[in-house]
Amino acid sequence: MTTRAHACILIVVIRFVLFVIASACVAAVIAAVRPASAAAGWCWPSCSTYGLLGAGTSTYNGCWYSSGEVCSGWSYWGTNGVVKTCYPGCDYYGNTRGTILYGFENRDRIRGRFTLLSNRFYIQPYEVGMGGYLRAQVAWYSGPASQINVAAG
Amino acid sequence: MTRRFVVAAVALVAVAAALAAIAATQGGASKRSSLARLSNDGRTVTLQHGVIVREAHLQRASLLAVRGRLAVYRLEGRTSTCFGTGDSNDVGQVGSVQCAHGPFPTAGWPVLDLSIYEGATHGLRELSLYRVEGIAADGVTAVEFLRPDGSVALKVPVSGNVYSTTEVPSGAIAGVAALDKAGKELWRSP
Repeated sequence: MTTRAHACILIVVIRFVLFVIASACVAAVIAAVRPASAAAGWCWPSCSTYGLLGAGTSTYNGCWYSSGEVCSGWSYWGTNGVVKTCYPGCDYYGNTRGTILYGFENRDRIRGRFTLLSNRFYIQPYEVGMGGYLRAQVAWYSGPASQINVAAG
Repeated sequence: MTRRFVVAAVALVAVAAALAAIAATQGGASKRSSLARLSNDGRTVTLQHGVIVREAHLQRASLLAVRGRLAVYRLEGRTSTCFGTGDSNDVGQVGSVQCAHGPFPTAGWPVLDLSIYEGATHGLRELSLYRVEGIAADGVTAVEFLRPDGSVALKVPVSGNVYSTTEVPSGAIAGVAALDKAGKELWRSP
């Protein structure tokens, strides 16, 4: 009887430990892909959600590309941050099939870096040789829509 | 006597074939491992705290190279390894970061292109180079930038796992390729 009780207690403890480990793993994954800072001056689609950026996406505010781009309003932006998820899926290297260009634009040009990767990307205007009054931007370049959250501040 | 000779010859050919197969396999393994390695560990530098360090949860930085005004970093984040760049006049101040979920480098992904592209024509998605920079695995000796028709627009040597140049050609760029020391293409994107 005592042995059986000990076995039951052991099983309960093991289940609890497994539950705690699983919860920690889920929390870590959520933390790793959570949207960019809510303290940003401009976010897309909001400061706490993701949106799909595809060939037909637009913020309808006069971006460099009339479609396939989301951009902020004009300001003296310091950093553009992008979080890109594995939507609709990633390969072993973390690459999606959707390429985006993230960076900045002014009235004369659009500049940025390309990426297929899923994760976090940050860039400041001087890295693209720009400064002053700019728009932060993320543009679809090729492939299926990318699931992103953008925050500029 | 003849039968013995034939048996010996067959045995010799079998041994030679086995040795050749082993050599070929090891050569392939060696090439694959050289594409999965960055020998340049860089120099540990102190990260200057700012919005990128905070938002990307960066904890440590190694300066891989200084090329003119460009500083290239390997960065350790809380959950992944990242690479970034900054102004070499302000070492430790990171101005851009790219992180990845998966491993880098690998034989299937030996180059992380951090080049800056630009477009100057509304509505046209053909972009040209503004500045070239990136990280490449040990086995990559040069990186080529390709035109939409597949011709080579620019070839940049890799040194210490880093490539960069500010002297770039005008015109559309549509892809990147990695070359080994024999000039053989190892990888291409897209």
